[in-house]
Amino acid sequence: MDFELTSDQEALVSAIDKLAQGFETKPTEFHGFALVSPELEHELTEGQYFDIAQIPELGPLAAAMAVERLARLPCTGEIALSMLLRPQLRKELPRPFGLIENGRPGRFVASARTVVVIDGETVSIAQPAASEVEPVDSLLAYPMGRMREAVKLTRLSDEEAAGARKWLRIALAAEASGLLQAAVASAVEHLTLRKQFGRPLGAFQALRHRMAECAVLAGGVRWLALKAAGTAEEADAALAALHAQESATRVAYEVHQMLGAMGMTLEHPLHLWTYRLKALVAELGGRGGQALAVARHCFGASV
Amino acid sequence: MDFDWDPEQRAFRATVRDFLATHLPPDWESQAHGPGSKSQSAFSKGFCGALARAGLLVPHWPRRWGGREADPWTSFILAEEMWEAGEPRGGQYMNVNWIGPTLMRFGSEAQQERYIPPMARGETIWCQGFSEPEAGSDLASLRTRAEKHGGTYRITGQKIWTSYAGDADTCFLLARTSAGKGGISVFLVPMGTPGIIVRQIPSIIGEGDIHEVFLDEVEVAADALLGAEGQAWEIARTSLSLERVGIPRFALARRMLHRAVETLKRAGRFGQGTFAQAATARAACEAARLYSYSIVDQRRHGKTTGPEASAARYATVMAERLVSEFVVEHVPEALSGGDAMLLAHHQRAIVAGIASGAAEIQLNLIATDLLKLPREPR
Repeated sequence: MDFELTSDQEALVSAIDKLAQGFETKPTEFHGFALVSPELEHELTEGQYFDIAQIPELGPLAAAMAVERLARLPCTGEIALSMLLRPQLRKELPRPFGLIENGRPGRFVASARTVVVIDGETVSIAQPAASEVEPVDSLLAYPMGRMREAVKLTRLSDEEAAGARKWLRIALAAEASGLLQAAVASAVEHLTLRKQFGRPLGAFQALRHRMAECAVLAGGVRWLALKAAGTAEEADAALAALHAQESATRVAYEVHQMLGAMGMTLEHPLHLWTYRLKALVAELGGRGGQALAVARHCFGASV
Repeated sequence: MDFDWDPEQRAFRATVRDFLATHLPPDWESQAHGPGSKSQSAFSKGFCGALARAGLLVPHWPRRWGGREADPWTSFILAEEMWEAGEPRGGQYMNVNWIGPTLMRFGSEAQQERYIPPMARGETIWCQGFSEPEAGSDLASLRTRAEKHGGTYRITGQKIWTSYAGDADTCFLLARTSAGKGGISVFLVPMGTPGIIVRQIPSIIGEGDIHEVFLDEVEVAADALLGAEGQAWEIARTSLSLERVGIPRFALARRMLHRAVETLKRAGRFGQGTFAQAATARAACEAARLYSYSIVDQRRHGKTTGPEASAARYATVMAERLVSEFVVEHVPEALSGGDAMLLAHHQRAIVAGIASGAAEIQLNLIATDLLKLPREPR
C-alpha cells in the first residue's frame, strides 16, 4: 500500500497538468451545451497520450489520473473511453470511441470510428461510416449522437463483454471524479465571491456543510476510481462506478442550489460539468446496474 | 501508487489474525461487550498483556518504550484487525494510539517513566477528561479549574461523557489554569485521588461506556501537569490528529455488512430489494477505507496530515451510518437478541459521528481548511 506517485506517474501528471492549463477557461462567446475542443484532441494525439495505459511504467492507473485531470476542464473530448477501455479490447480498434446503450442517444457517437453498443446483457462493437451516424441536440454537455440506421454489429464474447463493462465502469468513475472536483470548485468560487445579507454565501454554515459533504464525496470517488484502475478488479470497478453515480446525483443537485439562477445560464460554465455528470449517471444501468454488479462481485449474489 | 499490500504487511496481518484466533475466547462473538464494561476492562488486561508479550501491543513505539519503531501501516493494520474483531483491547487502544505517543512528546522524564511502561505492558486503563456539561464541541469554554497552591494543584469541576472512567487508573484531564483559550492545561490525574467521584451514565451504547466525573478540590502534585501551563491546545491538537483516523471503524462496518448480507442470504431474503442499499453501504465503507489509508500514507511519508483527516473521518461516519441503517432495516432482529455482534456494532456506530469531535465540526474544518470557504462570523 503506497499512495505516493511513482516518478513516472508524477511526470505524466505534471505533463497532463501543463497541457490542461491551456484549456482552463471557457471561451466567453461560447453559449452552447457541450463544449468540444478539437485543439485538446489534437494536443493529446500529438503527445501520444491516448496510449499511456499501454506503457508498462504508466498503465491504466496513470491513464485514470490523466482522465480525471482532463475531466476537470470545461471542454470535453473523447478521452476516457480511448484511454481506459480501448487498450483492454482484444482487437485493435480505431478511436475516437462512442457509446450507445439500449438504443438511446450516446456520447461521442456522431464522430466515433468505433462505437460500443450495449443492448441488455450483450455488448457489441460497431464501426459505422460517417454517413451512418448523426448528432442529436441535447441538454447534456457531451456531444450526443445516434446511428441513422442499423449497422453491422460484432458481438463480444461473454468474457470480453464483462471486461468491457468493467473498464467502462472504471472510465466512468475516473471521469466523474474530475467532473465532481471541478463542479465543487466552481460552486466554491461562487460562494466565495457572491455576497448576500452582507457576507459571502460561503460564510453561511447551512451551505458550508453541504459543500463539505460534496467535497468528501468527490474525494471518495477519486480514491475508488484510482484503486479500481490500479487493481482492475471487478468488485473495485463496480464500487467505484456506484459511488461515482451516487455522488454525481447528489453533488449535481447541491452545486446548482449553491449557484442559484446563475447556474441556470449558459454564460456560467457549471452546466459543462454537471450535465456531463448527469449523462454518466444514466450509463451502465444507472445506480441499479452498479448495485447489481456490487451484489455479484462483492457479496457473491448469483444474479 | 500501489493498492496492494507488500509481503511484509501481509505477513504481519496474518500474525495478528493468528494471535486473535488463539487468544479470543470461543464465545467472544456471542457476547456483546460494551467497550467500557467491567468484564471488557478485566479481559483487556489479560489480552493486552499477551499482546505485549507477543510484541503486538505497541510495535510502532520507539524501542526505548517496548516498540520496534514499526511504520504507521503496521499500527494501522493492527488497529484494523483489532477493531474488526470487536476491539478486545477495550479502552487500552487509546493508550496505544495517542496517550502513549502524546506523553512521549510532551511528558517529563519522570512522567514517562511512571506512565508509559504500564501502558506498554498492557495493564493500565486511561480515560480522557475533555468534555464538560457546558463544553462539548466548544471545548475552549471548559470551566474545570486547576489552582496552584504551593507545590500542588487543586482541581475542581465536572467532566461528562467520559469513556472508560469507571475502570480507569489515570485521567488525561483538561483544566483551566487561567482565562481564555490559552489558559487550558493538561493534567495526568490518578483516578484514585480523593475528591473524584465517577458516576456511570445509563445509555443506549452499552454498559459502562460513558460517565460523569466530579472533581472536588482534587489535590495533585505540581508534576501532574503535562508540558507547560496553557499548552493544552497544542497537546490536544496532536492527540486529536492521532485519534481522528485512529479507529478503523470502516473495517468492522464492512464486516458487519457482510455478516448481515449472509444472514439475509440464509433466509433467502438477499434480493433485488436489498441490493441497492447494501451496495451503497459497501461503497461507502471502501471510500472510508481508502480515505483513511491516504492519511496513514501521509504519516508514513512523514507528512503532516491536514484537513483530509477530517474528510476521512466524515467518510467513515457516513459508512457507519449506512451499514447501521441497513442492519436496522433488513436484519432488525439484531437489536432484539438476534445477533450480539451486529448489536455491538450498532452501538458503536451510534458514537461514530459524535465521539472525538462531532461530524459537524469536521464539516466546518473541511469547509474552511480544505475548500477555503470564507469563515463564519463569530
